[in-house]
Amino acid sequence: MARRVAIVGVGLTKCSSHRRDVTYPELVHEAVTAALADANLKAKDIDAIVYGAMDPFDGVFAPERWNVDACVGAGALNKPFIKLTTGGTTGGSVALGGYYHVTSGLFDVVLVVASQRVGETLEAQLVLNTCIDPIYERWMGGGAIMVGANQAASHFRSYGTTEEDLAMVAVKNYASALNNPYAHLQRHLTVEDCLKMRMISWPLRLSDCCPSSDGACAIILASEKRARKITKTPAWIRGAGQITDNYYIGDRPWFQDWEALSILAHRVYSEAKIDNPLEDIDVAELYNAFTIQEIIESEALGFCEPGKGTELLRKGVTSMEGKLPVNPSGGTLCTNPIGATGLIRIAEAALQVMGKADKHQVANVKTALAHVWGAAVGFHVLMILDKQNP
Amino acid sequence: MPRRVAIVGIGQTKHEESKGHYVYYENDFEASKRALEDASLTRGDLDTVIASGWDAIDGRTISDMHTCMAIGGYLKDSSHAAEDGIMALVYGYLRIASGLFDIALVAGHGHREAAIDAVTRITLDPLFARPAQRNYLITMAMQANAYMHKYGVSEEQAAKVVVKNRANGVHNPYAHLDSPVTLEDVLGSAVVAYPLKALDCPPESVGGVALILASEDMVRRITDKPVWIRGIGWAIESYEFGGKDLAEIPSLVAAAQRAYQMAGIKRPLNELDLAEVHEATSFHELMDYEALGFAKAGQGAKLIDQGATEMGGKLPVNPSGGSLCTNLFSASGLVRAAEAALQLRGDAHGRQVADASLALAHGLSAPAGAAAPTNCVAILERG
Repeated sequence: MARRVAIVGVGLTKCSSHRRDVTYPELVHEAVTAALADANLKAKDIDAIVYGAMDPFDGVFAPERWNVDACVGAGALNKPFIKLTTGGTTGGSVALGGYYHVTSGLFDVVLVVASQRVGETLEAQLVLNTCIDPIYERWMGGGAIMVGANQAASHFRSYGTTEEDLAMVAVKNYASALNNPYAHLQRHLTVEDCLKMRMISWPLRLSDCCPSSDGACAIILASEKRARKITKTPAWIRGAGQITDNYYIGDRPWFQDWEALSILAHRVYSEAKIDNPLEDIDVAELYNAFTIQEIIESEALGFCEPGKGTELLRKGVTSMEGKLPVNPSGGTLCTNPIGATGLIRIAEAALQVMGKADKHQVANVKTALAHVWGAAVGFHVLMILDKQNP
Repeated sequence: MPRRVAIVGIGQTKHEESKGHYVYYENDFEASKRALEDASLTRGDLDTVIASGWDAIDGRTISDMHTCMAIGGYLKDSSHAAEDGIMALVYGYLRIASGLFDIALVAGHGHREAAIDAVTRITLDPLFARPAQRNYLITMAMQANAYMHKYGVSEEQAAKVVVKNRANGVHNPYAHLDSPVTLEDVLGSAVVAYPLKALDCPPESVGGVALILASEDMVRRITDKPVWIRGIGWAIESYEFGGKDLAEIPSLVAAAQRAYQMAGIKRPLNELDLAEVHEATSFHELMDYEALGFAKAGQGAKLIDQGATEMGGKLPVNPSGGSLCTNLFSASGLVRAAEAALQLRGDAHGRQVADASLALAHGLSAPAGAAAPTNCVAILERG
């Protein structure tokens, strides 16, 4: 059996369109010092560092090198350091990387950092379009928005979902973000406001799409022995994994459903011994870059049957007061520093388990789920956190 | 205690100047296919795949969307080290050591679709380093210069490294450059960035490399000739160029110390049978000797003068010809590990070191050159 690992410290930065008030290393330093302070640890306590950032969205190459000294002085101290990138899943992939650093038995306390300055890029979607095959699919403007719009159109056709349903997802997330001081978009929104918004790619309106943000996030992972000494409120990793879907968008057997995510959920739930996710999970942080995805994710993750995600939403099951609150932080829809977004999902889930989510804390959280997608929805990462050591 | 992990499959393409119509991930595909064949495994046997390389060099964002599929990742747990391939080996090792995976494939590639000089320049500080036209190679030249002057090393001594490695490359059927050169050739080649001349610098090669790693339980079912990873260490260095003694490589010292400690090695020069080092330039191989503890500070050139690191010497270094013969810009370190593993299996044919049982593989992951390089050292043992 693998070693037990817990998240023992979380550090978030305020996110905005462009954090002009700080340099890139200062932004990273902000997240790292917050995580160290949260865990009451010092730089010397960190055994290894796992770093993630999607360079092409930063407009520079290998920014982790520039930021290495902001990560507990890793460079000056010649510490073990690895950079992982997997698109939007980068934040999830670095958390997994940190997890395996500790489960391997080589390290006890590992710092996981993810950062992004999309504000330094002219247009993130132009960058993202370069991930699509140049001959067969790039010409049609392939990227995140196009895939999200296809998902929405297919879900409308298959299950009768409407623009109003999407607006309800936006309203819920925007309302939650108002309680999250680190969230990028902080404004009150009504369904009527949403339906008047500019159309981006039918049926997705501006309010259905996430922003692009500058921001960073850091978490500290520790082995069982160390975790108990570091904090009274560790968030134990109960199950985790990644799945890789087909490269060609046209080769994927979904749009209204998310088969790869269902397969991954099945694997991770088996590991975490979760039989009934709606009953067993107390809060979920899902990667809802587009409103429709929160609905499809609820279905693929087994919170309800396929096609019933909208019903779950309308009944308020996924609201702050519901049976399974989804995205109390406001989700990706309100904050999206691309390479860091996935780690923010995991950090927010950890805060909920630790009872440190302040104004957006869900009551009595024992088990939390974090989900991340990336690579034009080619990759998914899941992590299940628990108050109790499994 | 980490679980024991072994290399059970090795795959390389022929490395060359160009592969014509190949898209970069086809190099990963060919190498992975060969590694699977080598281990008599199929894609279905893999639990996880780890790709490597840099998006900025590959010319696309999320380059692992393609590489992970090309190396067998469909519906599997994949990841991607935005580093030299040696760090994919590190990550694959960690995943298996954890007990959560049994079989991993790690891969890397090199290609010539990007202008490495131009792309690596944008890793550097825009105010001071970029206007000085610094890039990967120029930072390496600055290191070589600092090393030369601190320890009184001559250009001729560095040139001897080139002569040695190019002579070794002749016997490596995968090597990109497979012709010998003389001391005069090296010293007479055009200056690229003082003190580096053209032949002091590695070529840019196109090719792929893949290794399959397995947990102890699985190893016995796969092969009679496993290569065990006895020790592994890696470390990064400070980005601040101005405050460093460029004549030293402290991240390599730290990486080696970790790997040696894990493998129980105290006197590397005596205990190791061979080493495959990722020499950024000819001068760096001498610096590597010192950082790896083969020689005392400033004494690396003595080893080359004595012939100690030649084939048949006390500790042959780079029997494959090293990076000076084959240099996949984002996987040269992983090629070093593949070559060291071939030696320990006794499968290195014309470049075989007799009776090799303990080897060192070194990889350098340095997108910003000597600013914040990562060095990795793995100690491999014949099973």
